[in-house]
Amino acid sequence: MESREDGRDWAYRVDPYGFERPEDFDYASYEAFFSRYLVVLTRRAIKWSKLLKGNNGIQKSLKVKRYIRKGIPNEHRALIWMIVSGAQANMEQNPGYYHRLLEGEKNDKLVEAIKTDMNRTFPDNVKFRKTADPCLQHVLYNVLVAYGHHNKAVGYCQGMNFIAGYLILITKNEEESFWLLDALIGRILPDYYSPVMLGLKTDQEVLGELVKMKVPAVAELMERHGVMWTLVVSRWFICLFIDILPVETVLRIWDCLFYEGSKIIFRVALTLIKQHQAFILEATNFPDICDKFKQITKGTFVTECHSFMQKIFTDPGTLSMATINKLRETCREKLLSQG
Amino acid sequence: MRSRGFGELRLGAASAPLWFVGGRVGACPVCTLGLLQAGETEAGGTGSPTRVGCFVGALGAVWGPQPPGATVRCPSQTQSLTPRPSMQVMLVGDSGVGKTCLLVRFKDGAFLAGSFISTVGIDFRNKVLTVDGVKVKLQIWDTAGQERFRSVTHAYYRDAHALLLLYDVTNKASFDNIQAWLTEIHEYAQQDVVLMLLGNKVDSTQDRVVKREDGEKLAKEYGVPFMETSAKSGLNVELAFTAIAKELKHRSMKLPNEPRFKLHDYVKKEVRGSGCCRS
Repeated sequence: MESREDGRDWAYRVDPYGFERPEDFDYASYEAFFSRYLVVLTRRAIKWSKLLKGNNGIQKSLKVKRYIRKGIPNEHRALIWMIVSGAQANMEQNPGYYHRLLEGEKNDKLVEAIKTDMNRTFPDNVKFRKTADPCLQHVLYNVLVAYGHHNKAVGYCQGMNFIAGYLILITKNEEESFWLLDALIGRILPDYYSPVMLGLKTDQEVLGELVKMKVPAVAELMERHGVMWTLVVSRWFICLFIDILPVETVLRIWDCLFYEGSKIIFRVALTLIKQHQAFILEATNFPDICDKFKQITKGTFVTECHSFMQKIFTDPGTLSMATINKLRETCREKLLSQG
Repeated sequence: MRSRGFGELRLGAASAPLWFVGGRVGACPVCTLGLLQAGETEAGGTGSPTRVGCFVGALGAVWGPQPPGATVRCPSQTQSLTPRPSMQVMLVGDSGVGKTCLLVRFKDGAFLAGSFISTVGIDFRNKVLTVDGVKVKLQIWDTAGQERFRSVTHAYYRDAHALLLLYDVTNKASFDNIQAWLTEIHEYAQQDVVLMLLGNKVDSTQDRVVKREDGEKLAKEYGVPFMETSAKSGLNVELAFTAIAKELKHRSMKLPNEPRFKLHDYVKKEVRGSGCCRS
């Protein structure tokens, strides 16, 4: 009896992905949300089953895009990410490649940098503990070492450990995680992780420009107090909202990221800022502003992932890839001219 | 640039209970740095304060008896001391030297081995310290140590009032990189930035590869205050931040006839050894 109680207690303290819930976790409001979300999940599961049973497979189409925006059921997530990102095709075209990378000669410096982060990746996740069986630290190590030798221009950049960690939790497969990581870093995201991090710096500036257009009062506040965008949003971009937003919300964002590309990151950022405009504008000084940007990523607005995902496609208004590309070009040039 | 206008505080009406009634002490709602102290309550009165004042540094109660509804000015503001609402302290140093651990030890007094995640980009934590009776708000920026992040983090140096530069006494490479960090700091930080060198993880006596003398020598060469710390045991952690806060407070609110605060001397006097010689 007692052990059953303990078991139940444990199941509550750890979420389905293995993350321990913080001590101040608000179970009551989470349960209220989840019981509503369960209805959505059930409906989506039925729809997706039908879609996957069809003979057309998963190809880019308005219907698939709509389905993905409404959330991929967790049991199909790995498969759909693999297909829509092109990771599946790459994996099939390069059989044995991943294992050859692992067997090949290693760059000591790269391996050292990865090892430094092994104990520092999701210590709050029971599956990443040294004592866990199987211990995902080994899997994570393999994926990162293989990737570092595959994409030598990037090697290893902090942040990739968290991204690879999520991929491993979802796919439960080393090789698939590797190819998904390659899809993200090699194709979907601009060069966020290369040593000069130009893509990251560019996109932070692009966000600043977009805020100027869409939430001008906040842009003006930042300007008045001399707060650089990089100070408050660098983690949003590098970690793709891991450890910033709740796990379920991050996964829903990634669903769209794999299908629609890096534009989604701006939609999420703009929604967070626009939704909390009045709150941010209460800030009267530099540290206040920093605090506000930390607080806007917490609370029911972001926990309610389904309504949050609806909002990211309506709240910021139109956001064309052409606009983003143009801004990226001008921001990049500006950064390069500044040296 | 970030100085605030003269602060004003409107005292509540006699019937409205004020939070500082009855000799209680709290932070001045105007400057947020000084202590606001209610004095005596009029005998048999309604409980409204008769004397309130903001005690910033050497300044005493200035406002004296005030009628309810009166508007008073915080002395720290009227004396144009214009303390900043907060001081930015930045932690820098190689990846894995223990910047986050040091910060958590200072902030929460805790050290949980294996509970830290690698910092990506930058993270913040706030802590209010009381220095010589004055509250100093520190906003502490925790940065990523990996080399490629330096091109991102050096943009933050501009806004930092103080820098704590860390190396790990069990990692020679992190010590060898200190010169590169100092070059970076001299290039991007404000000229008058408060800087301190910390050799962390001195609790790991077995694994130590950087001697204390080596740290002292390097610090002396660059004219930087130095101490050895342990986020695990807590050794000198509080001191490192207090020393920085003292220096910042003195700089921001120095009165004309107050002697200059000497950070170097203070650190030398207060620092404690890692205990390796006692055992």
